[in-house]
Amino acid sequence: MCLVNEIGGVITVNYIEYLDTQEDLVSPGISACQGCAAELILRTTLKIMGRNTVLAIPPGCMAGAGCVGWNFDSGVKVPVHIPLLDNTASLLTGVKKVYEADGRDINVVAVAGDGATSDCGFQSMSAAAERGENIIYICYDNEGYMNTGFQRSGTTTMGSSTSTTPAGKEGHGKEQQKKDIPMIMAMHNAAYVATLSPSHMSDFVKKMEKAKSIKHGFVYLHILSPCPTGWRFDGKRSIEVARKAVETNFFPLFEVEDGRYTLNVVNKNPKPVTELMGMMKKFSHLSPETIGEVQKNVNRRYRLLTTLSEMKNDMEG
Amino acid sequence: MGKVIAITGNTAAAKGAALARPKVIAAYPITPQSSVVEHLAQLAADGELDTKMVQVESEHSAMSVVQGAVMAGGRAFTATSAQGLALMYEPYFRMSTLRLPMVMAIAGREMTSPETIWGGQQDTISVRDAGWIQIYVENNQEILDMVLQGYRLAENKDILIPVNICYDGFYLSHLIEGVNVPGQEEVDGFLPEYKQTHVIFDPEMPMAVDPMTPGELLMEYRKSHLEAMQRALNVLEDVDREFAAKFGRSYGGAVEEYKCGDADIILVTMGSMSGTAKEAIDIKRNEGIRVGLMKVRMMRPFPRKKIAEVLEGKRAYAVVDRNVCFGWNSGALYMEVKAAESDLESRVTSFPVIGGLGGADISLDHFLSVIDELDSCEKGGKSHECVWLMK
Amino acid sequence: MDKREYITPKGDEGIYCIDTASWRTFKPVMDKAKCIECGLCSVYCPVNSIHKVEGKYSISLEYCKGCGICSNECPKKAIDMVMEGEE
Repeated sequence: MCLVNEIGGVITVNYIEYLDTQEDLVSPGISACQGCAAELILRTTLKIMGRNTVLAIPPGCMAGAGCVGWNFDSGVKVPVHIPLLDNTASLLTGVKKVYEADGRDINVVAVAGDGATSDCGFQSMSAAAERGENIIYICYDNEGYMNTGFQRSGTTTMGSSTSTTPAGKEGHGKEQQKKDIPMIMAMHNAAYVATLSPSHMSDFVKKMEKAKSIKHGFVYLHILSPCPTGWRFDGKRSIEVARKAVETNFFPLFEVEDGRYTLNVVNKNPKPVTELMGMMKKFSHLSPETIGEVQKNVNRRYRLLTTLSEMKNDMEG
Repeated sequence: MGKVIAITGNTAAAKGAALARPKVIAAYPITPQSSVVEHLAQLAADGELDTKMVQVESEHSAMSVVQGAVMAGGRAFTATSAQGLALMYEPYFRMSTLRLPMVMAIAGREMTSPETIWGGQQDTISVRDAGWIQIYVENNQEILDMVLQGYRLAENKDILIPVNICYDGFYLSHLIEGVNVPGQEEVDGFLPEYKQTHVIFDPEMPMAVDPMTPGELLMEYRKSHLEAMQRALNVLEDVDREFAAKFGRSYGGAVEEYKCGDADIILVTMGSMSGTAKEAIDIKRNEGIRVGLMKVRMMRPFPRKKIAEVLEGKRAYAVVDRNVCFGWNSGALYMEVKAAESDLESRVTSFPVIGGLGGADISLDHFLSVIDELDSCEKGGKSHECVWLMK
Repeated sequence: MDKREYITPKGDEGIYCIDTASWRTFKPVMDKAKCIECGLCSVYCPVNSIHKVEGKYSISLEYCKGCGICSNECPKKAIDMVMEGEE
């Protein structure tokens, strides 16, 4: 990590020192839950993006926590707007076009939940990626519409007991697999796609810096955001849960730049997903069959990623 | 002084938009509007239009893109019809309530179902209460001219409300008429670059655009929106006077009167049908019937006072709607004119007329028969629940 | 222009701030003897309340919600979550 000091000299710092010295551009007091990973994600993101940024936060946890403002006050120290749940990427496209017409280089950033990204707003995001709009679209994936009471979304893991797919005598939680948004976005010829975890901060900072530096196309970052309140675990374990998700290959950390795949964390002996699922009550009703389905999906996906990352040298076409 | 060329209504709308120098244009095709965005794309491709064109994937995104653009302070344009207008309703409502000025051209089309693509007013009528200014035009020249006037009206600091220029699908969008296209310099003199001051989305001046708002404050915003719309009734006339001084063409204000002065009975119309109606008026006048035409140009805000003024002392009126007002056995314009008429001391007999839906023709014969009905109604004949101009 | 006229706040200096410190049941207490100044607590704190003060990492209780992530992540178990009101 490089910082330029006051007299113009370049000094190298590690990511921990870097994050300690960067300005926190979010209000110090927002009403995110205790242990909310999304709050950590938003603060860290803005530390790296800096003041030359405009932010769109659609309805969801971060908007509800106060970041988009209330009455006459704002919740962040950069320009912020709460788009409709389904048009974040389109709205930011219009904003970016005006800055481009005026010859201005400004970070145009979306920080959106999985509901807005994978369901409602998917169409507008897909089109923005297809058009190669130079916006940085960040999805914090807490696997559901958490702000409105933990309803399931497309990215909710199979078997999760949510408020719209509750476990009961007849119900066994969500019946469908998790929608793989990062891979779908990788297929859009985006300039840069990456998965991040708040547990792997050095990787997080590197990828966020990379995202900020991309000026020629669409950037998509998918960040796992453990939700203590919705997934039902003690808030102090948020980072632990995120780490376990990476260690079990449930949430592999990879990046795709101009079509080349890189697996950032290779697990020679991945832990079984039961270790992750055992950490949270939303899976406590699961049958061994469903756990098996989830494990199969995790394995299949990881194998696919490994194969794609090994194709690196063949990508020249 | 401008050049007269033969063009369709869609091309006129596109040329008007291009002359306004929008920074951003959102484009999505839908019958009968498609050639608007096609023409703009061609102008840009030929280097005649310096703009950022965004080929969006749906009308919802079209309105979202222009919303972002105007939020960031640039002038923007888009166009749509029927299903597209319905699809963009969510950001459409937000555009006006965020007080972001722009002009959107609408080639009016009937709303599905039944499955249709042909002209009608149902689309714009259905969204009349979403806070936009809505102006209905009669011919292609008016389309181009009102796009330019529309930006002046919308961007006026006392108004700051987006404007719909509504013209009949196929009847105007695809019709070729002679249109005087002004030169760019002339238009630049009338329409300078837009400088936004009330909404700023710029790191130089960080602002939360549209924070969560409690009800008490929301009511203040709504009140100021309603008041601004009322001001638009007069500002339209101011803009028109300025336009006339510069370009030599004037359209007046929210309402156009045609031979109403000494009329006993009044025909009320909106849109391109007014041309045919004027022919019918002239024919019936020759037969000795003292009939006049009141053409409503501005549907929103509704020129309540002016309409009551025109109807005062008249004996009967009929309103021809190219749309229906579900829940009332009439069209929407009839319902609104009747509400305005109720301000008068004495009532005026009236009946609604519905015709021309889904692209059907409202013919000269239709108007002649309506005037006959109006005439007999005024003379004490049977009134009507609703007259349908069927084939 | 009057703040109330249009739908964006004109006074942009205002930041909406909630007293999240009042949420706490437990508060973090750092044992500097065990602390190795690795800075992981600072990196993981969701409310950005742990910073180097005079060269040493220190926890500010101004907005701390008492979530316990710092305590859970500390490699040396140098942070204890202590009930508010106790020492």
